Amino acid sequence: MDPTVTVRGLTKKYGRNVVLDDLTLEFGRGVTGLLGPNGAGKTTLLRSLATTLAPDGGRVRALGLDPEDRSQRTELRSRLGYLPQDPGFYPHFTLFELVDYVAILKELTDRRERHREVRRVLAEVDLADRATTKVRRLSGGMKQRLALAQALLGEPDLLILDEPTVGLDPEQRMRFRALVSRLGEDRTVLLSTHQTEDVAALCERVIVMNRGRVAFQGSPGELASVASGQVWVAGAAPSGSRLFWRTSDGRYRSLGAGPPGAAPAAPTVEDGYLLLLGEPVGTAK
Amino acid sequence: MNPQWHLPQELIEQYAGGRLGPVQVMSVDGHLARCERCRAAVPYEREWLAASWERVEDLVDRPRTRPLARLLRLFGVPEHVAAFLAATPALARGWLVAVTAVIAFAVAAAHLAVRDPQAGLGGLAPFLVLAPVLPPAGIAFAYGPRVDPVHELQAATPMGGARSLLLRAVAVLVTAIVLTGAATPLLPGPPGLTAAWLLPALALTSATLALSTRFSPPTSAAALSAAWFGAVVTGAELTGDVLAPFSPEAQALYGAAALILIPLVYLRRARFDSGEPRWTRP
Repeated sequence: MDPTVTVRGLTKKYGRNVVLDDLTLEFGRGVTGLLGPNGAGKTTLLRSLATTLAPDGGRVRALGLDPEDRSQRTELRSRLGYLPQDPGFYPHFTLFELVDYVAILKELTDRRERHREVRRVLAEVDLADRATTKVRRLSGGMKQRLALAQALLGEPDLLILDEPTVGLDPEQRMRFRALVSRLGEDRTVLLSTHQTEDVAALCERVIVMNRGRVAFQGSPGELASVASGQVWVAGAAPSGSRLFWRTSDGRYRSLGAGPPGAAPAAPTVEDGYLLLLGEPVGTAK
Repeated sequence: MNPQWHLPQELIEQYAGGRLGPVQVMSVDGHLARCERCRAAVPYEREWLAASWERVEDLVDRPRTRPLARLLRLFGVPEHVAAFLAATPALARGWLVAVTAVIAFAVAAAHLAVRDPQAGLGGLAPFLVLAPVLPPAGIAFAYGPRVDPVHELQAATPMGGARSLLLRAVAVLVTAIVLTGAATPLLPGPPGLTAAWLLPALALTSATLALSTRFSPPTSAAALSAAWFGAVVTGAELTGDVLAPFSPEAQALYGAAALILIPLVYLRRARFDSGEPRWTRP
């Protein structure tokens, strides 16, 4: 599949701190997951793609448009849906008012059509019956759904979602997965998350970032296979393993070299991710 | 629950044709609410019904128009622009009350000061010094991540950057000029002198916008306001006249500064956009 977003040699520094270090990646239609530890540069990358932050160097092409060019950046913004990591709202606005305000920012100027679109996106995230509630009265999960609703305005071709499942309960997360997988059928969705289960359940492609660089690009299955032959289950805590934890059935799952008496286990996306980043020794999870 | 009886065809036709009285219509409505079979027998246009429901939903859900947006609509501002400007943090009620209070305080101070024969018209100085700072202070609270909680969402939309900042800056400037201008006739002094805040206000506003292409609006407004206060004090001390910074010569200087800075702001407007590259590709 042709890539809809390409990034070449992207660099961003804050003082001496290099946040994006000659980053190169590409992805196309469908849902792409973006994994990485805190400080890996995920949010900076997403802000660069969402055109709210200018990189120090490198090139970005999204939907065939160059954000460096002012008119192309404006066109890209009109085809973009963005859910930032910490979306802010006017607390005294109602949900309808808030989404209507963002719709105005997205240049939906005809009031009747704009209101129809506002109702549509509120219904998509199951907040239609809360349209007249003030934002300050919402729970954290509802605010997250509100943030997702505004990102869906205007049926964007490119959706950039920065940790959208934070604060959602399990049922809402299932609904979110259903919604995002449906959106990914005909558009490009980039989903930054700490939840490897979301990546395994939703994404056709996964990118792992570490220290401002791409550590892995491939399918979730390929990320899991990074841990092939290195996942073990044993009845007792392994002594020589670098990473292990006690599972719900009372046995110990470990990554790395096989401890004596341990049986091999099928690797998961999380196993591959942990081994890829070479996290320090963990004792419990 | 489906009732045991159903509406006769003749009654359905009269109902659909709008030929029943109010009491009969209410009775038929009550029956239709409970009877699926009769509902199915009443002819209706799907599109008309959908449009009617949409109008009802819109009436229930749509936001009430804010007073400022209503005011702007009276002056012919398009609905979506009025709604956008009404959300400007620097045009919130609290801000407007604070500005009005500052102006009222300065007018009262001027009246008290001019009673002192030694102060004379110099009593107008607090008003004339404070008034030009109000528009830059408003711009400081009009746009940017530090003052607008929705800024990050806004920056990723076509309205992000220069369009938002300049629209809001104009709205803030006009509001400040209207409020200050309304207070000007109340000042105890000749009209030429009481309006001497206007050109410094324009110069400071355009300088704030010009500096905001490099620094954030709050930083720019704070730095220029401090520079303005410093310049006024220095000018007064050097000449021994507190109104020297508002002399005709000084006014010409403010006017010239505004004329130079306004085109500069226009030329550099892309810099208001956080997505605009700050480097030149080799």
